[in-house]
Amino acid sequence: MDIIEIENLKHCFVDGTLGLDRINLKIRAGAFVVVAGPNGSGKTTLIRHLNGLLLPTDGCVKVAGVSVQKDLMRARRLVGMMFQDADSQIVGETVYGDVAFGPENLRLDHDQIRERVALALDAVGLKDFAEQRPHLLSGGEKRRLAIAGILAMEPKVIAFDEPFASLDYPGVKQVLKQIITLHQAGHTILVITHDLEKVLAHADRLIIMQKGKIVRDGVPAEIVGDIETFGVRAPCASHLGIEVRSWLN
Amino acid sequence: MAELTTFSFQPGTSLLHKLDVRFKLLFLILISLISLGGGFTGLGILTGLVTALIIHSRLPLKSGFKEFRFFLIFLLLVLGARMLTTPGTALIEIKSIAITRPGLMSGVLICWRLVIIALLGFLFVFTTPSSEIKAAVEWFLKPAAFIPGKRIATMMGLIARFIPVILNQARETADAQRARCVQNRKNPLYRLIRLGLPLIRRTFEQADRLIVAMEARCYSENRTDPALCATRIDWVALLIIIIICGWIVSI
Repeated sequence: MDIIEIENLKHCFVDGTLGLDRINLKIRAGAFVVVAGPNGSGKTTLIRHLNGLLLPTDGCVKVAGVSVQKDLMRARRLVGMMFQDADSQIVGETVYGDVAFGPENLRLDHDQIRERVALALDAVGLKDFAEQRPHLLSGGEKRRLAIAGILAMEPKVIAFDEPFASLDYPGVKQVLKQIITLHQAGHTILVITHDLEKVLAHADRLIIMQKGKIVRDGVPAEIVGDIETFGVRAPCASHLGIEVRSWLN
Repeated sequence: MAELTTFSFQPGTSLLHKLDVRFKLLFLILISLISLGGGFTGLGILTGLVTALIIHSRLPLKSGFKEFRFFLIFLLLVLGARMLTTPGTALIEIKSIAITRPGLMSGVLICWRLVIIALLGFLFVFTTPSSEIKAAVEWFLKPAAFIPGKRIATMMGLIARFIPVILNQARETADAQRARCVQNRKNPLYRLIRLGLPLIRRTFEQADRLIVAMEARCYSENRTDPALCATRIDWVALLIIIIICGWIVSI
């Protein structure tokens, strides 16, 4: 079953710049998709259509069979999004408060909120930080907090926008481990990055974007060979002709 | 790790952290009103109360003082204006400029009152999450059907959320400019413009990112607010505050 269906999607910004140019894309439930491309290629614009943060100029985006435009709240509940700047995603004054923000917006009762927050914090290993101020967490912990905030809304799809940006090596490993755990738990994962090295070993599909268009789409091992012509650096291993290995090994 | 402004909520276990937010808001209003009419003795009593609360709730006064430095300049201006414009017996006279005794007294009184109110506000923000402030404002405005309580409460909650963000941005921008020797430029207007413009731009950008993140998590005015619950300790605190206020009024 395809959880995301994008048909003929076009997006123009208010200044007339073309952000997305006739995108057609289907993503099956449970997939692990990496979307790569140089800056300004339309990666972030594309995923922001999945939960209606941006609306199409033309075309249609469906999540689990329903048009995003028809039911924005449903789309936002089903598609969780982790932004590039984890700090700007933090809205709570405590770790608990931040994770509870989403369920509170869904108007759940206090017991349900407590239960969801406890489960989400447990899932990302931040249970002992519940009363801590979020801004004092490390980079990796902040990303995990953002993931917990998404998990508390019980989404089906989780989109990560540059999840490894400005993280140190332990931070990258923490976040990567979390993403893989979420995938194994049945979530559909979308990772946007221009740094394939860290995540490609786990992906089952690679999409390359350039100037608002999808220029390559397929199994990573099959298309990774010529991606540098589109401004995306291929992992070192593929240059050496060996299999791309996980950063967790 | 980020260095945070002290002008924001910090989790804790002090009495002020435990009190119901509606009572805290009521205390803030009551004490502020009483301080406006209080003389030196009354303000002395209130200062004792505020000092005890600051020590008990572990308010970081040292870093808070740094945040308040612009407020202190404002106080100095108020004091100066009072001293120089109030008629009465001159304490010091230089040519036609005279600092009068009543002017000095009233200037000190006004500044003292403002300091007490500011410290109370500081304590309130330090011990109360903005979601609770929003819930309390909504609760107080509920009986007034003609006032859009939810909207006002949401705006207040967002303002409380944004003050530390703006202060943080200001500090980061100032640091970045100090790193490029802005202190060598002596013109305060130049420095103000150089600080102000990027600060406004960055604040709007940050606000934009925050709004997108909140929208992605289904933010709306109609959400589950924190449960407000008055306990015995709140009523006891109210009684104590009323007694103190009554005592100050009777002096």
